[in-house]
Amino acid sequence: MSEECRKYFERVSEYLDGELTPETCLEIEAHLEECPPCKACVESLKKTIALCRRVPCESMPDDVRERLRKTLLDCIGRNEPAG
Amino acid sequence: MENQLRDASDSDLVGRFKEGAPEAMDEIVRRYGDRLFNFGLKMCRQLEDAEDVTQETFLSAFRYLDGFRGETKLRNWLFKIAARACLKKRRKKKCEPDRELSLDALIPGEDGPVAYEIPDWSENPSDHLIRAELKERIEQAIAALPPKYRMVFNLRDIEGFSTEETSEIMGISTQLVKTRLHRARLFLRQAIAEDGWEEGAR
Repeated sequence: MSEECRKYFERVSEYLDGELTPETCLEIEAHLEECPPCKACVESLKKTIALCRRVPCESMPDDVRERLRKTLLDCIGRNEPAG
Repeated sequence: MENQLRDASDSDLVGRFKEGAPEAMDEIVRRYGDRLFNFGLKMCRQLEDAEDVTQETFLSAFRYLDGFRGETKLRNWLFKIAARACLKKRRKKKCEPDRELSLDALIPGEDGPVAYEIPDWSENPSDHLIRAELKERIEQAIAALPPKYRMVFNLRDIEGFSTEETSEIMGISTQLVKTRLHRARLFLRQAIAEDGWEEGAR
């Protein structure tokens, strides 16, 4: 990887997260137009992030939910008004 | 009553709880329980530990909710407590040492393929087996991240907190959040890519 590619490679996540200045974004986009490996690198990283976000959230199993409810009721449930 | 609370804002719920309404507690658990459990599971990788983290988080939150002034969002505050509970859990177990991810090892072409083939997530009902296998692959890859990278990744990319919020939750600089997130994503790309998976599975 060339020095120039490495310079951009280090900032790809910030670029994808919209955390760079418009000038830096333009600079990166100009580089991506000329550098297919870097463009492929950005695309695959973007795809990785999107893929990880697709994994559904694990819900609490019913028994865990029930134990949590019971613990909270036992320890906190008899809450007196504050003040 | 319950339906009324479903539309209440977090700060209204906190107010109701402080006034002594236990149903406000149920609604807060309903709103954030699964997300906190999911976070605990991704961080600790064990069901029992995720249960402990969820329980400790809510117990601590409700005990100290009187002191909660609302400058922070309730969700961020809960995750801050959960992050601390995960760290405590790991320290107690002493079985998962943290380590650094080197950027050089994650540069494409240095030690691996130049192009990574990242599989697609299909919503097609007939692809449920492929989806289950892919889910497993992604979860294993996330679990293989060193803990401090895993926490940044989960907070930023899975829970959707901003860089600033993650920095506040973890008590680290925004620059460190950015550095760790970038390396975590590169690590996951390598681990999830078709070739990486095939080689690892053999």
